[in-house]
Amino acid sequence: MLINAILLGGLYALMGIGFSLQWGISGIINLSYGAMVILGSYISLEFFNLFHLDPFISMIMSGAILFIIGAAIYRTLLQPLIKGGIVFTLILTFALRLVIENIILKVWSADYRTIRLTYAGSNFQFGDAYIPLIKFLAFIVAGILVYLTYLFMMKTKTGKGIQAVALDKEGAQAVGIDVEKMYLINFALGTALAGLTGSLWASIYSFSPHLLGSIVGKVFIIAILGGLGNIWGAAAGGLLLGIAETAGAVFLGSEWQEAIGMVIMVSVLLWRPYGLMGKKFFG
Amino acid sequence: MLSNKKINIFLLMIGIILFIFLPRFVSGYWVRVITTIFMYAVISQGINLMSGYMGYLPFGNAMFFGIGAYVTAIGMSKGLPFIVVVPLAAITAILFSIVLGLPVLRLRGHYFAIATIGMSGALLSVVQNATEITGGAMGTTLPIIDKSPEITYNYFYLAMLALMVITSLTIYLVIKSKFGFGIRSIKANEEAANSMGINTTYHKVTAWAISALFTSIAGALYAYWMSFIGPEEVFDVMIAVNTIVIMLIGGAGSILGPIIGAFVISLLSEVVWSAFLEYHLAVLGIVIIIIVFFVPKGITGTIADFVKKRELRLRKKVSV
Amino acid sequence: MGENNIILKIKTLSKHFGALKAVDEVSFEVKKGEIVGLIGPNGAGKTTLTNLVTGAFPKTAGKVIFKDLDISNLKPYQIARNGLTRTFQVVKPLIGMTVEENVLVGSLYGRDKRNTDMKNASKRAREIIKLVGLESKKDSSVSDITLPDLKKMEFARVLAMEPEVLFLDEVMAGLNPAEVEEASILVKRVRREKELTIVYIEHIMKAVMGISDRIVVLHHGRKIVDGTPQEVVNNSAVIEAYLGKRYAKEVNNEG
Repeated sequence: MLINAILLGGLYALMGIGFSLQWGISGIINLSYGAMVILGSYISLEFFNLFHLDPFISMIMSGAILFIIGAAIYRTLLQPLIKGGIVFTLILTFALRLVIENIILKVWSADYRTIRLTYAGSNFQFGDAYIPLIKFLAFIVAGILVYLTYLFMMKTKTGKGIQAVALDKEGAQAVGIDVEKMYLINFALGTALAGLTGSLWASIYSFSPHLLGSIVGKVFIIAILGGLGNIWGAAAGGLLLGIAETAGAVFLGSEWQEAIGMVIMVSVLLWRPYGLMGKKFFG
Repeated sequence: MLSNKKINIFLLMIGIILFIFLPRFVSGYWVRVITTIFMYAVISQGINLMSGYMGYLPFGNAMFFGIGAYVTAIGMSKGLPFIVVVPLAAITAILFSIVLGLPVLRLRGHYFAIATIGMSGALLSVVQNATEITGGAMGTTLPIIDKSPEITYNYFYLAMLALMVITSLTIYLVIKSKFGFGIRSIKANEEAANSMGINTTYHKVTAWAISALFTSIAGALYAYWMSFIGPEEVFDVMIAVNTIVIMLIGGAGSILGPIIGAFVISLLSEVVWSAFLEYHLAVLGIVIIIIVFFVPKGITGTIADFVKKRELRLRKKVSV
Repeated sequence: MGENNIILKIKTLSKHFGALKAVDEVSFEVKKGEIVGLIGPNGAGKTTLTNLVTGAFPKTAGKVIFKDLDISNLKPYQIARNGLTRTFQVVKPLIGMTVEENVLVGSLYGRDKRNTDMKNASKRAREIIKLVGLESKKDSSVSDITLPDLKKMEFARVLAMEPEVLFLDEVMAGLNPAEVEEASILVKRVRREKELTIVYIEHIMKAVMGISDRIVVLHHGRKIVDGTPQEVVNNSAVIEAYLGKRYAKEVNNEG
C-alpha cells in the first residue's frame, strides 16, 4: 500500500509544482488548473486514438500545447488584470475553467475515458509487493520531469531570471531582466506541467471532467504544504498528499479522502502558513 | 426643500412598496425567481462587506449558507419550531466565523481567500459523511409547510425581501459608522490603519461575523422553503462564484451593488439557460471575463465615475 | 510622570535579523516637550528603531517605557491609542479616501475618548486640516495631491490622534528646500501649540540641527553620541560616521 501511495504521490508532486509556481511566483491562483490537467489527458487520448501514440510519448505534445495555451492566456487575460488584485484573478481563472470545462464536455462528453495500453496489466515483483509497471514508469517519468524543472530553474538563464524576479522584483528589473516575460514563462511552465501530469495520469487511470474540481483542491493543499513557489516543497507535499489520501482511503473509507486533505490544508494555513518547509512566501 | 438624501429615502421606500406588491402582477415562477434574487443579494452583501469594503475576499462564504441550512434542518427534525432554529443557525454561523476567523484573519489577503475555500470544502465533506446527523450525501428533509404552494412561495418571497432590506440597511449603517471607517481603512492601507490605533483583527473578525449572520439566515430560509437540501447544493462553490460575480457586476463597495448585480445576473442566467443550454458554462465564463475586463467597477461604480466626471466638467465650466 | 519629566525611555533595544544587528542595544531617554533629533547615515537603524518602539516589529531584546507604562509587548494600535504615534518615511495614505477622511480616521481613534465619536472627531479633523493648511484640498482624493501635501496630510492624521510623543520619520525626504523650510516652521508651530514631544528622524544633518534640543546619533545600529547639536557636530565619531576617517582627522587637527 505504501508503494502505491508513493507512486501516486509522484504524480501529485509533478501536478502540484505547476500550480505552486503559478501561485508563488506569478502570483496567480489558477482555478482553471484542474481543467488544464485533464486537457492534457484528453490530448493524449486523441493522439492515442488517432495515431496509436503511447501517452508517454504524446505527453510531449501535451506539454507543448498547454505551454502555448498558458502563455496565451497569461498574455491576453491575466497580465492586464493583475493589478486589480486577487478578486479579479480568482474570478477570471474560474471563468476560464468554465469555458474549458464546457469545451471538454462538448467535445468528449462527461463520460469517463481511458487509454488502454497493451502493457497496462503487467506487474513486476519487488520484494513482497507487486508493482504495476505503468504506475512505476509514470512515477519515474514524473520524477525526471521534476528534476528537469529544478535544473531549469537553477541552471538556465531563464530559470535564474525567474528566480531573481521571485526574490526581488525591483532588483531584477534593475539588472535588466524582463520581469513580465519571466512571469509569462513561469505561468506557461505551470500549465505545461499540468498538461504533462494529465498525460501521465491518462496512462494509468480513467478521467473525465468530474475530476476538475478535486484536482484544484489537491494542488491547493500541495502548494500550501510545500510553500508557494518551492519546487521541492511541492514535490514533498505531493508525496505527502499521496500517502495521506491512500492511507485515508484504506483506513477511513474513500469518502473521507477529500475531507482529510482539506483539514490538512486548513491546519497548515492556521499553524504554519509558509508551508511545512518554512520557505519564504514570494509575494 | 428636498435634500438629496430625502429624495433617496423616498425612492427606496417606493421601491420596497413596489416589491411588496409585485407578486400580484407576476406569475408564480417569477415570484420564485425574484425570491432567489433577493437571497443571492443577501449573500453578496456579506461578500461585499468583506471584499468590496474591507479587501478580504471570503471565497468560501457559502459555508455559512450551508451551516444555516443544515442547522435549520437538524433543528426542525428534532421538533424545534422555525422561529427558534433561525437564531440558532445564526449563532452557529457566527461562532464558526469567530473561531475560524481569529487565526485566519491574521494572514493577508491571498491566504484568507484560500483558507475559506478549504474550510468550505472541509465542511462539505464532513456534512457528506456524518450521515447519522445530517443525512449524508443523500440530503435531508424539513417539515413541509401545511399551506398551499401559492401562500408558501409568497410567504418566502416576503421573508427574503425583508431579509434583503434588513441586511442592506444594517451594512449601510455599519459602513457609515466609525466601525465602517475602520473597515475601509483596512482595505486602503492595513499597515497604516494599524499604526493609527485601529484594532484590525477585531474589525476583520466582526465584519466576517456580520456576513456570517446574514448569510446563514438566508440559508435557513432556503432550507425551510425547499423542504429538502443536499450538501452539494448548499455548500456549492458556485454560490460563492455567483455572489462574487454579482458583487463585481453590481459594483463592489456600494450598498446597491449586490442588489443590482443579483438582478442582472439572474436575468442573464435566464436568458443564457434558455438560449444556450449546452454552452451555458462557457457563456457564463465569457460573460464573467467581459465584465471583469470592461466593467471592473460594476454598474454602480461606472455610474459613480460618470457622475464624478460630469461634475468635474461642470466645475471647470463654472470656474472659467 | 517620573523623574525629570521623562516621557519615553528606550532601554537596550535590539533587533537582530539573523546575524545582522539592525539595532544593537540602543538606549536613550526623551523628556516631555523636547525635540530629539535621531540621525545617522542611511542604514543606521533609525526606521527600524521606530518600528520597534511603535510595535510594528517584534523586538529581539530591550524595553520601551512610555509614561511609566511598559509598552514593549503592546500591539501597534494599542501603542498608538496610548499617545505614541509615527509618520512613515514612505507616506502611507489611505488610498481611495479623501484627505479629510484620512485625517478623520486618525481623529476617530485618538487618545481622548471624549472626542472619538463621529461628530466630535469630524470637528477636530477639520480643525487640524486647517492648522496644517490643507483646507483647500480636503475633499481631494489622496491619489490626486502632491507629495508635500501628502506629507502634510500624514502629519495631520497623526496630529488628529492627539499624540503626546510623535516619531517623524524622514519627513523631509523628497521635499525641495522651500518645502523643507515650510515644513520646519509648521512642525515648530504645532509643537508649541499642542505641547508635543517629537523624535525627529533624519539623515540630513542640516534639517535637524536647527530644530532639535538634543540629538542622538546612530551608526550601524548602535548609539554613538547623545548630546546637544553643538556637541554632536564637533564629535569626531559622528564626522567619521558620515564622512569617513579622513575628515574626522582633519577636523581634529584643526582644533
